[in-house]
Amino acid sequence: MYKRLLNIHQVRNGLIHTRLPSTKCKEKERFAPVIWAMGRARPLGTSSIFFSENKESSTSLSEDNAKRPEENEANAEVNNDGQKNTKINEGNNISNAMLTSQLETEPVVKPEDSKKLDKTKTGKESLLELLGAMKVDVTTIRKVRPPKIPRISERPDPKPMESVQSMFQHATAEVSQQRETLNPTLVAAASAAASTLPNSRQAESELLQQLRKHEAIPDTQRRADGQNIGDIIADMKVGKKQNARSNARPGSQIRFDDDGQGYTRDRGITGELDAVRTRKSPFTSKRLNIFNAGAEQDSLSVLGPTLWDINLANQIVQATNQTPRNGFEEMIQWTKEGKLWQYPINNEAGLEDEASVPFHEHVFLDKHLDGSFPRQGPVRHFMELVITGLAKNHHLTVQQKQEHIAWFRDYFQQKDNVLKEAEA
Amino acid sequence: MAAAWKFLGTGMGFLQSSLPVSRQAYRSSLGVVEQVRSYYVNWRMLRDVKRRQMAFEYADTRLRINAIRKNTILPKELQEIADKEIAALPRDSCPVRIRNRCVMTSRPRGVKRRWRLSRIVFRHLADHSQMSGIQRSMW
Repeated sequence: MYKRLLNIHQVRNGLIHTRLPSTKCKEKERFAPVIWAMGRARPLGTSSIFFSENKESSTSLSEDNAKRPEENEANAEVNNDGQKNTKINEGNNISNAMLTSQLETEPVVKPEDSKKLDKTKTGKESLLELLGAMKVDVTTIRKVRPPKIPRISERPDPKPMESVQSMFQHATAEVSQQRETLNPTLVAAASAAASTLPNSRQAESELLQQLRKHEAIPDTQRRADGQNIGDIIADMKVGKKQNARSNARPGSQIRFDDDGQGYTRDRGITGELDAVRTRKSPFTSKRLNIFNAGAEQDSLSVLGPTLWDINLANQIVQATNQTPRNGFEEMIQWTKEGKLWQYPINNEAGLEDEASVPFHEHVFLDKHLDGSFPRQGPVRHFMELVITGLAKNHHLTVQQKQEHIAWFRDYFQQKDNVLKEAEA
Repeated sequence: MAAAWKFLGTGMGFLQSSLPVSRQAYRSSLGVVEQVRSYYVNWRMLRDVKRRQMAFEYADTRLRINAIRKNTILPKELQEIADKEIAALPRDSCPVRIRNRCVMTSRPRGVKRRWRLSRIVFRHLADHSQMSGIQRSMW
């Protein structure tokens, strides 16, 4: 799988690393030619765009070959956006199935025909045709939630399945061995997927219908690389979701009653609440992994402004008129100058370095006395009192204390002769 | 350092936005100390400001010499010498000469220490509700 992936140079997006746990190796092989097209077609930022793209592919498929649907389907499956996109694909299938039944179109292309056209075109060309022939209907599909129903499976699942789609794939892979009525796992998957759509019952029924048709096709004609679902997509047409906002008028347009008096639309909070709910923030969607985390920084930001930059900044400041426009800017200026305290009040405003000084340097100052002061006598006695006072002083830095002691040292060395005369 | 800091905050913003330099308010380049002329209320206020600055400069020296003078352990000869030394310091360096004047009017008397204002200015501002947390009391 990975070998084939790397061969395709058009894979630019970093979001392609297939890690669907339930897909088998042979299924993955066909993903490769499709991945490029997926990545190249559009950035997979929003689910709606992806959904529309999927629809593009699906509608064009209905006119063209069925090879594209297979690729598109594989493409959709492989997408690393994972659960959401696969679910959307599933939802696409379901909605398309539903709409297809609504429009009363029969599935035209059979999987037998699609097989013969295999490998005639590269994935790129096929998907280009796909996209070209598409009719785009962008709908706002809300984010697909994970399945709420408990999974009903006869066999124990070896790996945890993230999505309904993967469940579905797992079921399809294994169901080839069982040729009876619909697999209960399939049914479960279908109902889970259908539950995410607005018309869940209808969608579920349509999906199950499609599944039955799908199962009815003999196994020999069905390719293991998943043309199956692609065909389903191929027949589906894109439909428009019932627009809940069709009544929206521009702004607050004045409407008129019979008596001629106008009234503006009553703006409640419900509209805003809806907007708040459905708004997608950039942080809710899945990571695209386009850029490496921890991108390199500018050298300037790392090193800081150079001396030249500071000089230039000073020149600019002095040249332009820097008077503050209002009281806030005046206070800012004073704070920078130091005239105004910094709020919230910090008692140790100018003493940030002192926090790292250990306490023994503050308290045990005897070592400064040992050097140049006499060991006995009134001077020593006096200095010990000085040391005691400094040790108890909370408001001085170590530097200041040492300066005090140094000053006394110099003073007593100058007055040495006076001291000797006094002693004598 | 503080002066450089004062320029840096506003200057770097301009540096990055690359505003054109206006010629009207052109001042001398960096390195020449400007004479900043501001206005105090009167000369007495200015002298008081000078005394405060000088007292700040000599505070440590005065403290140390006074520590020698005001103890009973050191010999008296030393203390006399210390007396003379402290008397030789400039007269404005002693903190006793500082007068807490009103900041607005330079009034030497009737100044409340907390606000540094004389009673008249305080009343004026408080009545115009420009003193935060001050209201007319009645009880």
